[in-house]
Amino acid sequence: MTFDRSASIRERGARSLLPVPVAMAALGALLIVAGVLLSEPAMAQTTDQARQMRHFWHVFAAYAIAWILLFGWVVSILKRLRRVEERLGGGE
Amino acid sequence: MSLAKIRAGSLVLGVIGVGLTLLFHWQVFFWVPTEASLGIVQRIFYIHVPAAWVGFLAFGIVALCSAIYLWLGEEKLDQAARAAAEGGVIFTTIVLISGPLWARISWGTWWTWEARLTLTLLLWFIYVGYFMVRNATDSPERGKKFAAVVGIVGALNIPLIHVSVLWFRSLHPQPVVARVDGPQLDPAMLTVLLTALGAWTALFFSLFLLRYATAQLEARADRLQAAGYAGQGLSGP
Repeated sequence: MTFDRSASIRERGARSLLPVPVAMAALGALLIVAGVLLSEPAMAQTTDQARQMRHFWHVFAAYAIAWILLFGWVVSILKRLRRVEERLGGGE
Repeated sequence: MSLAKIRAGSLVLGVIGVGLTLLFHWQVFFWVPTEASLGIVQRIFYIHVPAAWVGFLAFGIVALCSAIYLWLGEEKLDQAARAAAEGGVIFTTIVLISGPLWARISWGTWWTWEARLTLTLLLWFIYVGYFMVRNATDSPERGKKFAAVVGIVGALNIPLIHVSVLWFRSLHPQPVVARVDGPQLDPAMLTVLLTALGAWTALFFSLFLLRYATAQLEARADRLQAAGYAGQGLSGP
């Protein structure tokens, strides 16, 4: 009795939706970084409002990136768990 | 402890972690007062400091499990160390990103090569290296032993990070909570900080247990595959 993992897991990998949330997370991180960097010229402005907006962007970016990283770890673990449960449950 | 209990524990801790997370976010954005001198950007403190503490906790677990693994050779300890190392890298990454975002506003610079920042970056590189060393040899068993040594050595960095701001002149603030004379922090801010620490800790242990359970299942699948049973839906020996 042998276990042919090659075809079934490759097919599942091809259908895996993981690239979608990873791409969304990467795009979100890029937008956040862009927002922070684009707010840099606000340093030249002396109004309190501009300064507060820039500070807010930094706070938002810190919290958002922290949750993106944690969510990424969760997705990574769940993907491994699904893969190993498929191995233990038998291929199609 | 059975895998079912580990996964149940992970779920319970996850629910607690999510609940505390919702609470501390409400506290950060709607309850805690704004720090007078640092302004709104000081709210990064409530993820930056707990992430550092949880990262250090994770690496402490790595060092402990690695040391006992080298002594007893028990595979489960290596799996636990690897699971903790993943979490440690994630939380240290949060520290290294949230810190510069705060520093840019407070210090006027994204980064400076002062003691605490440099040692924390070094810690991050050491534990990324932990994973690289695991896969760098032809023999998986040797890779695990090399990684265990890296894990133990890396943890020696942690007390240095804590005392670095005391020993060296530094832009980084001195400790305001972990002090000999007690926390020097507004009670409301301390409440939020401890809530955030509870949230991060619960989430870390939840994901640590889940990752450990996954590693156990992977080891079981490898054993079954080696014995020729995998894919047949049998539980095997």
